[in-house]
Amino acid sequence: MKSISLYEEKNSTLNHLDSGCKMLYMVAAILVPALIGNKWANVAVIILSVFLLAISKVLRKTVPVLSVSGIVILTIVIIQGMFRAGNTTVVLQLGPAAFYKEGLLYSLGIALNVFNILLAICVLIFTTKPSDMVENFIEKGFSPRLGYVFISIFQIIPQMMETMNTITDAQRSRGMETEGSLLVRIKAFLPLISPVVMSSLVDTKERAIALEVRGFNAKTKKTFLNERKVTTTDKIINLLLIAAVLASVAWRVKLWLG
Amino acid sequence: MARIEVNHLKYRYPHTENLALDGVSFQIEPGEFIGIIGKNGSGKSTLCQAFTGLIPNFYRGAYGGNVKIGEINVRDVEVDELCQKVGIVFQNPFNQITGSKLTVYDEIAFGLENLGLSRKEMIRRIDDALEQLDITRFRDRNPFDLSGGQMQRMAIASIIAMNPEIIILDEPTSQLDPQGSEEVFKAVQRLSQKGITIIMVEHKMEKIAAYSDRVMLLDEGKMIDFDTPQKIFSRDDLLEHGVLPPAFTRIGRGLDRKNAATGEYPVTLKEAKEALEGMAV
Ligand SMILES: Nc1ncnc2c1ncn2[C@@H]1O[C@H](COP(=O)(O)OP(=O)(O)O)[C@@H](O)[C@H]1O
Ligand SMILES: [Mg+2]
Repeated sequence: MKSISLYEEKNSTLNHLDSGCKMLYMVAAILVPALIGNKWANVAVIILSVFLLAISKVLRKTVPVLSVSGIVILTIVIIQGMFRAGNTTVVLQLGPAAFYKEGLLYSLGIALNVFNILLAICVLIFTTKPSDMVENFIEKGFSPRLGYVFISIFQIIPQMMETMNTITDAQRSRGMETEGSLLVRIKAFLPLISPVVMSSLVDTKERAIALEVRGFNAKTKKTFLNERKVTTTDKIINLLLIAAVLASVAWRVKLWLG
Repeated sequence: MARIEVNHLKYRYPHTENLALDGVSFQIEPGEFIGIIGKNGSGKSTLCQAFTGLIPNFYRGAYGGNVKIGEINVRDVEVDELCQKVGIVFQNPFNQITGSKLTVYDEIAFGLENLGLSRKEMIRRIDDALEQLDITRFRDRNPFDLSGGQMQRMAIASIIAMNPEIIILDEPTSQLDPQGSEEVFKAVQRLSQKGITIIMVEHKMEKIAAYSDRVMLLDEGKMIDFDTPQKIFSRDDLLEHGVLPPAFTRIGRGLDRKNAATGEYPVTLKEAKEALEGMAV
């Protein structure tokens, strides 16, 4: 049984940082360049995120995320580079295809934004235990039920996939074709749906009861086994991040007024 | 310690015709080990859930009579209040994992966090529960990476940590391999020796016969009998109620060897030996 865990305990500096701190980093990393509205600000924050991911030893985990989004970005670059309205200056001619400076710059802006946002999210997700994040929210008054759904989904989806596999195996051993052409697969898939849905429903009900008898709906204020320690370092980092956001807001306001 | 008192309990699930429990009355004393037997659909699981207040408070449906744990009428309190007195462990260890914790240790903490216990108290209780169920060495494992028997013991530990006086086990070993079952039975026996009231539904009659102080036989929602294992398994109509007595009892019956003093058939290996000893030439 494997759970889809994006988080991995690496005993890194960022692992030890308070989850609130990293959430704030994510927000600031997205807001600051957007407010400043300059590509170089984006580049600087991207470099910072990459650096943070590298020292947390999770840079490699970003590869699948970046390569999938990279393909999408590449399409945007090609389309905008060739066909964007207002394209005038040719910078690259590949046979019949001409790439224009205006479109390329525009799509570069999109690419930087997307990569910046993704990397900022990666910094948070790859270095923070999901339960730390959710417990942090619950302490602030967030619904424990929603929090539970959010955390458990990562463990329970793989379990449903397991059920699916078990049932597929059972059907196959009874002689049902589950491999081959699309039509064969679809035909095999339909009768699978109801047992999977049924067994998931039963599982869900059983799990709901199991949670119930462990006091999940108790009205007492919940406590947490894992103490949330907000250190001085965390507080200083929080202050710096807030200062950075405020400074870029001020900058934006100044641009508007000036 | 709380005594259990069930009076004329009747229950029908919502949208069904037949009574799942039909006028059941009995008492259970603190510290007793009770086995519940009966064929599929006889109402064993329903009765188990009636002890915890899940019936009727979670399922709704039509309810008559009452179930009392000490002074508390289960119908009048919330399930999460009662769960500190009566714990329940289900058949499928998988579905009892919360799915929100990454280690066995944190998984056991789940119920205690919900009760709002202090960190110090949680640690004390979790360490103790791990010890009692003999799973301390798995404390940092992912709950989903345990074997069935280990998972079920973790589920029991999660309940034990909440300090109940009564533990209900509804077919706790039916999805486990023989080794896993044995681990669970041993753990349950240890809890019983500590004075916790145990109520266990189980199909392995040899185990029921060996551990139970008294055995309850259910059929079609009615309590047919509630007596010592020897009395229950010596009944002539067991097969009609869908129960196959322990192998030792069948041997005793086949050879017509009863305990001379009580006139009952043997139910355990030890008793079978004693009953058969007279036969040797
Ligand atoms: N959730 C439910 N909804 C409706 N009927 C149920 C439900 N659970 C059990 N029953 C019915 O109640 C009766 C007793 O079931 P149960 O207590 O599960 O028996 P056992 O555990 O002895 O196999 C059966 O007739 C069963 O079909
Ligand atoms: Mg049952």
